[in-house]
Amino acid sequence: MLEELQTRDAFLQRVHPTLKLLSLFTVFFFMIFIYDIWHPLAVLVLTIAAIFFLGKVPLKLLLILLLPFALFGFSFVWLQVVFPEERGATVLFYVFHMPVALENIQTGVSLGLRAMVFASWSLLFVLTTSPVSLVMSLIQKWHMPPSIGYGMMAAYRFLPQLRKELVIIRRARQIRGMGSKPRMREWKEAGVPLMAGAVRKAERTALAMESKGFDGSRKRTRYVQMNYKKTDVWFTAGFILFITVVFLLPLS
Amino acid sequence: MINKRLNLRDIVVISFISAVLGVLYLLWVLLGQIVTGVLGPVGGGLMAGFWILAPVICAYIIQKPGAALLAELIAAGTEVMAGSVSAGAVLVLGFTQGIAAEIIFAMFFYRIFRLPVLMLAGMAGTSAAFLTQYILYGFSQYAGSVVVFMLVTMLISGALLAGWAGKSFTDALVKTGVLDRFALGRQRREGQQRNAV
Repeated sequence: MLEELQTRDAFLQRVHPTLKLLSLFTVFFFMIFIYDIWHPLAVLVLTIAAIFFLGKVPLKLLLILLLPFALFGFSFVWLQVVFPEERGATVLFYVFHMPVALENIQTGVSLGLRAMVFASWSLLFVLTTSPVSLVMSLIQKWHMPPSIGYGMMAAYRFLPQLRKELVIIRRARQIRGMGSKPRMREWKEAGVPLMAGAVRKAERTALAMESKGFDGSRKRTRYVQMNYKKTDVWFTAGFILFITVVFLLPLS
Repeated sequence: MINKRLNLRDIVVISFISAVLGVLYLLWVLLGQIVTGVLGPVGGGLMAGFWILAPVICAYIIQKPGAALLAELIAAGTEVMAGSVSAGAVLVLGFTQGIAAEIIFAMFFYRIFRLPVLMLAGMAGTSAAFLTQYILYGFSQYAGSVVVFMLVTMLISGALLAGWAGKSFTDALVKTGVLDRFALGRQRREGQQRNAV
């Protein structure tokens, strides 16, 4: 399902992955200085709208994915109310003789919303960027060493096999009468053969790469070219406008 | 040590180990979110050490400069590729945690990989995670005692979950013989030969 979303024919999916990554870090940077409610709320709504309209991601899926973060964000609120750095003056009500101040609720909600903004921009990136295009553009535009990039891709492709190996290990243990249910202290007994298998596979992969003439150098032809296009200009312009309006111009 | 630079085989092996750990990191995030939601960020601090396993394990196996940082970056990258819903935070944390662990190994000139050093690397990793989250999630707005308590739980977690558990797992892994061509496996074989003589 994720793959289908990442390769959908929509605006955000066509934007160069490095630009999306850069925009993600930019938003993180500007959010650090925000302690009011309205900025993060505006960014959150705009981000969700962008993913929905420009990335054609179903709204329902987005909200479901953000739900755990709402819970995570709520922990900021109660922590802020119970253990604030400075208790606010406007006491709204008392819970077990503990004053609950408006200012602290505001700060808590702001921090909680900030966590949700981080999550929503991360979703914008993850839901619209395929792993292959990400690694390819990092190699081609951000000078990631090809040996690391292709090594990562090989490892990523190996992951689906892990589950199968885990089943095999479990059955092997079962047939030897070591019990079928994994217990807490047995994490090593299943984890070690699993990791040993991964290391063996890695060595074989490295050998195969070397024997096919891969030496990690940049001088090679590429099937997938990750070049900047017109879409990227639009995205950059839109993003700069967004940052200027939300963060650089005073809202109130 | 003959060659101190990471070669292709080192890189691919680090990739595979870190990719596996990256998937476990993701599962741990789910667990961490539940714990954090119930106990608050302080309780979540106890989970933090797990995310420093990749640099500890890979540096311990490969024992070359850059292994720890690369491992943590690849683990973070795998999380993002597998569809982590907190991709941005994961990447920032991956970088800071990896750097912190790397600094500890560099301080010992990549020569000493005993338990105290690995525990120190784990603690450095979690303190970097603490600092990063302090800035990202605005911890300055909370009472000092809570923040200090959070740092302490994270340090304990770094020493135990990353340092101790990471070493104990890798020591079990090296006995299988798959690591014989790496620094850690070589040391084990040399030890055996000495015992045989």
